[in-house]
Amino acid sequence: MPKNITIYTTNTCSYCPMVKQYLKRKGLSYDEVNLEKHPEMQAEVFEKSGALTVPVTIVTKQDDSQDVVIGYNLARLAPAIA
Amino acid sequence: MNDSPAAKSRGSEPVPHDLVIVGAGPAALSAALYTSREDIDTVLFEKGAIGGLAAVTDWVDNYPGFEKGVAGLELSEQMRKQAERFGAKIELGEVQKIEDQGKLKKLTTTEGDIYAKAVLIATGSEYKKIGVPGEEEYYARGVHYCATCDGAFYRDKKLVVIGGGNSAAQEGLFLTKFASHIDMLVRSSLKASDVLIKELAKHKDKITIHLNTTTDEIVGQDGKVTKVVGTDKNSAQKVEFPTDGVFVFVGLLPNTKFIQGSGIELDERGFIKTDIHLMTKVPGIFCAGDVRSGATLQIASATGEGATAALMIREYLEVQERGPLPQAVVGHPQLYG
Repeated sequence: MPKNITIYTTNTCSYCPMVKQYLKRKGLSYDEVNLEKHPEMQAEVFEKSGALTVPVTIVTKQDDSQDVVIGYNLARLAPAIA
Repeated sequence: MNDSPAAKSRGSEPVPHDLVIVGAGPAALSAALYTSREDIDTVLFEKGAIGGLAAVTDWVDNYPGFEKGVAGLELSEQMRKQAERFGAKIELGEVQKIEDQGKLKKLTTTEGDIYAKAVLIATGSEYKKIGVPGEEEYYARGVHYCATCDGAFYRDKKLVVIGGGNSAAQEGLFLTKFASHIDMLVRSSLKASDVLIKELAKHKDKITIHLNTTTDEIVGQDGKVTKVVGTDKNSAQKVEFPTDGVFVFVGLLPNTKFIQGSGIELDERGFIKTDIHLMTKVPGIFCAGDVRSGATLQIASATGEGATAALMIREYLEVQERGPLPQAVVGHPQLYG
C-alpha cells in the first residue's frame, strides 16, 4: 500500500479522471493538484516528471521512494501502486 | 487463476461472458447499451480513456441531439452512464490477444484470461505521428497529441499546430484559449469542414494558416522545443516557425496490434475488414467504429455501427444457442448459414 499518491491534472484532461477512477476502484485515496488552479506548481511537476503533460501521478511508497507515472498508463500505474 | 471480476469460472472450467467488447468508445458504448438492455452479459475492456478519442475532443458540434454542441468528455460520460445503467461492466485493462477456439473466444488481458461467446472489436484509432526528427525526442516536452490534456501549459506562449483536417482545426481553435499565437502547418489544403474553416477565419488574428507547407524537423535547445522547420512547397524554400510547443493532428492509426495471429483480416491500411453484418472473417468476432475498414470516422457513425453490431451479435448468439431457423423467418439468412 503506497504512503501517498498525488495526481496532477488540468480542467479539460480526459485521462485525468481515468487515473482517479482506476485508483478508486483499487480502493486507494489520492491528493489532486489542478495545475490550472496552481500554475506555480507546473515547474515542480516538470522537474519531477520531465514531461509537460497531464496526468502525472506520483506514488510515494512506504520507504519514501517515489514512482512517477506519466499519462494514463496502466502498465506503469498498476505496479507502482502494488 | 485470477481475481478479476471479468474472469468467471465454475471450478476449473471457465464460464464465458456472452459478449466481450474490446474498447469503450462511442461504438463500444452504443453496442453495450443495446446488448445490456437485452440481458446479454456484456463486459467492456478499455486501456485508455472511456469515450476514446471523443473523450479527448474539446467540443463536438455534429452529434445529433445537442443543439449547441457538447463537450467530448461530457458526451462520453453520458454514454458510459447510459450503458452502465443497463448492466454493462467496464474493466480498466488491456486486451493483449484474441484466440478463436470455435464456439468460445479466449481473450488474454492484463486482468487475466477471459472467455466470450462473441467478441466486438471497437478499439478505434489513435493520432498518427509525423515521423520527423525531434518528434520522438521532445514527446510530452513540447510535442503533444492531446490539446485538451496539455494545452493549458501554453498560456501566452507560441504554438505550432500540424495538420489540416477537422481534428487539427478543432483542436487549433481550442488552443487559442491559451496560446498567444498559432502557426498552423498544412501539407496541402485544408480538409476541415466549412464550419470549422469559417471559425478559423474568425480567429485569423491568432491563427496563421500556412498551406502547402511540410513539417521537416522539430528543433529544440536545452530540452525545450524552439522551432519547427518546414518547406514551403510553392517556393521550395525552407521556412522556420519559432515556437514553444507543437501539437500534431495528422490523421488516425487503427488500434489493431492485439489481433495479430487471430485470423482477422485487415485492409491495406491496417483497418479491420468485415462483411455487411459487421462480422470479421472469424465467426463470432465482430467489429464496429473507427477501427473498421470503411468507417467514416464520425462519432454519430460509430454509435450507429455499435447499435448495428449489437443486433447482429444478438442474432449470432441466438443461432448459437438454438440452431438456425428456417430461411423464411431468418432476417439475415446469409449471416451464419
